[in-house]
Amino acid sequence: MAKKDDILQKLREMLAEDAIRMDEAYKAGVAFSAQVPLDKVRDVAAAFKDGGFYLESVTVLDFQDTVELVYHMNAHEPKSRVSFRALCGHDQPAPTVSDIFATAEWQEREIHEFFGNPFTGNTDLRRLLLPEDADYYPLKKTFGKVHAYVKREEIYG
Amino acid sequence: MAEQLREPVVDQIYSLNLGPQHPSTHGVLRVLLDLDGEFIIKADPIIGYGHRGHEKMGENRTYKQFMPNSSRMDYLSGMLFNHGFALAVEKLSGIEVPERAKYIRTICAEMNRISSHLLWFGTYVMDLGGFTPFLYAFDDREQILDILDSVSGSRLTYSYCRFGGVCKDVGTDFVDRTRAFVKRLLSRFPDYHNLVTKNIIFIHRTRGVGVVTQEQARQFGVTGPNLRATGIEYDVRKAEPYEIYDRFDFNVPVGSKGDALDRYNVRLEEMVQSCRIIEQALDQMPKGDYHNESAAFKVRPPKGEVYFAVESARGQTGYYLVSDGSAFPYRCHIRVPSFGNLHVLTDVLKGTLVADAISILGSIDVVIPEIDR
Repeated sequence: MAKKDDILQKLREMLAEDAIRMDEAYKAGVAFSAQVPLDKVRDVAAAFKDGGFYLESVTVLDFQDTVELVYHMNAHEPKSRVSFRALCGHDQPAPTVSDIFATAEWQEREIHEFFGNPFTGNTDLRRLLLPEDADYYPLKKTFGKVHAYVKREEIYG
Repeated sequence: MAEQLREPVVDQIYSLNLGPQHPSTHGVLRVLLDLDGEFIIKADPIIGYGHRGHEKMGENRTYKQFMPNSSRMDYLSGMLFNHGFALAVEKLSGIEVPERAKYIRTICAEMNRISSHLLWFGTYVMDLGGFTPFLYAFDDREQILDILDSVSGSRLTYSYCRFGGVCKDVGTDFVDRTRAFVKRLLSRFPDYHNLVTKNIIFIHRTRGVGVVTQEQARQFGVTGPNLRATGIEYDVRKAEPYEIYDRFDFNVPVGSKGDALDRYNVRLEEMVQSCRIIEQALDQMPKGDYHNESAAFKVRPPKGEVYFAVESARGQTGYYLVSDGSAFPYRCHIRVPSFGNLHVLTDVLKGTLVADAISILGSIDVVIPEIDR
């Protein structure tokens, strides 16, 4: 059985009924996407680790009403990219996954410097790409010129 | 002799800056090394010198305006990044691409992969003290740059792809020159192997040096030739074939130990496989349109998101685009392969010698401006 089917079964047990959105045609490039409550992010990440996945990318979407963390996971198997996402308030600390996936150490540093999102548990949140003394968060929609700053439901509604 | 066996007089850990201007760092990279004698205790790469804010620029430009940015992240495989961005936007907005354009793009992308690997080959061997192979590799690479220049108008930062095709058709001249080049390159490999692969100094500098284990690769998100050198047969072109890669017969070379020598062998073999793909593509290339004329001039993808990954010269490049229905992306995140490939060094360099660090750094093949974005 493919790793993504294993993890799908496991996530179905862990999460609410309507949390998983299947995407058979890979329209968004993933097999399925799971909406995870913020306090379960670490459990889900650990399940992915046990399932043989690696963390491909973590990023943040900045909306007027909320911030969304998007984790893209992949295994070294054909067509096995899946994603899980968690809603998080502006400036609300998110749990780190850097002790589960080492690559998150740097990716969380990057998110922190660009969006100002703190991560609880990540001890090294120095600036990664910006100057050490940067006191601005450039990828926030409130910084500089932006074309749109909308509520989450306007895109995903 | 007995004198030398005594405990060192100075017993302390000291720090050394490798870079930011060091011939072997390939781009502006500073590695802060904590050393105990010649041994590395801790390596902390300090990056960001080439940060330009491509992700922010992406949000302030239309999809088409961002096209030239894509090839400026990894300037050594610009065509591959360009190709990936075009594919991501096409998928998001459902633009069809004519058959001929698919072949042209694939040929150019594979040519770019070879040119990137050739540059790596030359500079890596030069890092280890061999100057001659560098000149041979650049001689070959120059031919690719000339061919790609003739179709796209640039030698490095290509902006050749368009949503729905490419900007200019290729003629018989391109086909003939590419065929001649592939033939010439394949005939050069015996020279390369005689000069470098069988060189005893080279073997001693690379065999068993900088071993990346499969677990490390998974933890740090290592992709590309560095991942395949550990023995995991994973290539985006095979795992989730995009464009027309499922039509070609090619192998995915893998290593067994994950050391610098394996990474070298994998890249050299990859060039041969790219040649195979180019030859097949040239044979199959149909006549017809090179651009989908019905594609809208100003792309406005429907609301939604897409994550599109391609295999660039250094590994998996992923474009994550979120559209709010306007002509500007709401979010444009780029997952770059060198990010994980460099991060793994914090673990791999522990306990190695400074001289080996140069060899390991070179064998990983990082392009720093790609990480900095």
